[in-house]
Amino acid sequence: MVTLAIAKQTLDDMLRRKVLLILLIVTVGMIAIGPSVSFLSPRESSSILRSLGLAMIMIGGLLITILSSIQVIPTEIERRTIYTVLSKPVQRYEFVLGKFLGGLFTVFVMIAAMGVVFLGVLWYQEKHLAAEMVKGVMLTFFQMMLLGAMAIFFSTFLTPVVNFFVTFAIFIVGNLSSVTESLTNNPNPATKIMANIIHFVLPNFGNFNIQNKLINPTVEISNENVFIMQNIVYALIYSAVLLILAILVFDKREV
Amino acid sequence: MPAAVSIQGLTKKYLDVFNKSEITAVDNLEIDVEEGEIFGFLGRNGAGKTTTIKMLLGLIFPTSGTATVLGHPLGDTATKTQTSYLPENPYFYENMTGWDVMDFYAKLFHISEPVRSKRVKECLEDVHLDPKAWQRPLHGYSKGMLQRIGIAQALINDPKLLFLDEPTSGLDPIAHSELREIIVNVGKKGKTVFLSSHQLPDVELVCSRVAIIHQGKLLTTGTINDLTAGEKVEIRAEGKLNGALEKIKSMADIVEVNDTHIRIPSADERNVTDILDIIRSAKATIIAVMPHRRTLEEVFVDTVLKEGGI
Ligand SMILES: Nc1ncnc2c1ncn2[C@@H]1O[C@H](COP(=O)(O)OP(=O)(O)O)[C@@H](O)[C@H]1O
Ligand SMILES: [Mg+2]
Repeated sequence: MVTLAIAKQTLDDMLRRKVLLILLIVTVGMIAIGPSVSFLSPRESSSILRSLGLAMIMIGGLLITILSSIQVIPTEIERRTIYTVLSKPVQRYEFVLGKFLGGLFTVFVMIAAMGVVFLGVLWYQEKHLAAEMVKGVMLTFFQMMLLGAMAIFFSTFLTPVVNFFVTFAIFIVGNLSSVTESLTNNPNPATKIMANIIHFVLPNFGNFNIQNKLINPTVEISNENVFIMQNIVYALIYSAVLLILAILVFDKREV
Repeated sequence: MPAAVSIQGLTKKYLDVFNKSEITAVDNLEIDVEEGEIFGFLGRNGAGKTTTIKMLLGLIFPTSGTATVLGHPLGDTATKTQTSYLPENPYFYENMTGWDVMDFYAKLFHISEPVRSKRVKECLEDVHLDPKAWQRPLHGYSKGMLQRIGIAQALINDPKLLFLDEPTSGLDPIAHSELREIIVNVGKKGKTVFLSSHQLPDVELVCSRVAIIHQGKLLTTGTINDLTAGEKVEIRAEGKLNGALEKIKSMADIVEVNDTHIRIPSADERNVTDILDIIRSAKATIIAVMPHRRTLEEVFVDTVLKEGGI
């Protein structure tokens, strides 16, 4: 009850943030005008529309996730609203989880809104539901959950500005898993060790980007549903570890 | 009766990053607060009042020393169901309405409906917040209204012990006296109040016992009665003293004579009998002999100047 009350308060607060709403409007706008700027043949157009839409949702979701998750906890400390909360029978872990869930609900609402518009646009163009795109949007949501957990973890000891760059950088590197993987075979031992650390410690964000595989049926995924489930479980476990670390740090933190 | 708060050697040191030196914000503090009293925690700005309260609430951690709150060690979440806190210059979620923010705080105490709505209403009424403002967002509230919300949220769990950090600072005179009244009423309900303040006239009206701290150290503690009582006595008389005046002046620093009114505001206790004899032998009438009381403000200034080593 305490965790959910904090999550709901956080969601309400986030949905009033102008920056997040502007991001949502811009992204939705870009998705909506997608068809009208396309000058390609209908078949090409359909696939471009799909990758464009998923990419927009990913970029919009990325900014919304980072901007909300880096600040949910620091804002409480900076505005001193945390005093009246933590002086009540609220465990510190409940506070961290509540803030994380609040951010996650925000991201969910935003991605769902973008996803609905995206599917609506496809429906309007193709007169049928693009069911396979639901999976793409869903995977983006789990990718953002993992990213949000990471931003929350860093926010327990980094300032929001530093956190923004750190989280953003890790997201980029984590998306280049094929590059880091190839570097693990580098003959230079230093490079090899570094690449191993980066490849195996940093979250593998690239795995969630299945638009290519969904859009180009030529690329085979042996079992798509298993692949999606694996990624979801990966996101859940990795997020849980990050949240436990966040709680351990926050427990010692003076506010 | 068990102590509501018992502070044993509590110390908090901060590292001053600019001077690479240590600041001792709270220095080996020893204080006991009894159940049911309104306890004044006095000190100048920067004396260490807020730091002490935040340690008692588990928001920050002591460098050394311990304390118990309602018999529980520091950081025990079970204690928090029976305590409450009004921070100094409190901030609340300003986009929420007065009602919603109270409802949120009530949820943190696991208070479920329908009790919750009832409690929220009672508390908002207790602090005399205009019902028209209940459904308005807090960013439109005045400082006095926010302070009422602050007290209301500190009452939501019907606590046994309240920590109020400078609750009457920065308010206009009307809001100020109303809030003081509310605090007195809280005390009348048998709750313990740990009241940090440097508004000494308020403290004198509201509190039964006080502690004065300076630079983190306890200077003195005692009931207001004991602290303000001195060894001085005020004597008033009516009549002509003539030659006796000089004798009295040799025994008391101040003798005010206004025609036939004689006032000796602060005669030393040891000289009182002699002075009274002289007045009687001069055939003047003694009107009153009463203990001279200092104001809490005088006590505070004297204590801090003398023992604080300024
Ligand atoms: N987080 C902090 N870091 C460094 N110094 C601090 C910190 N908090 C308080 N202090 C210092 O501790 C002293 C006591 O502060 P405080 O408890 O706020 O005093 P009061 O509430 O009595 O006005 C002050 O000198 C203040 O500057
Ligand atoms: Mg203070």
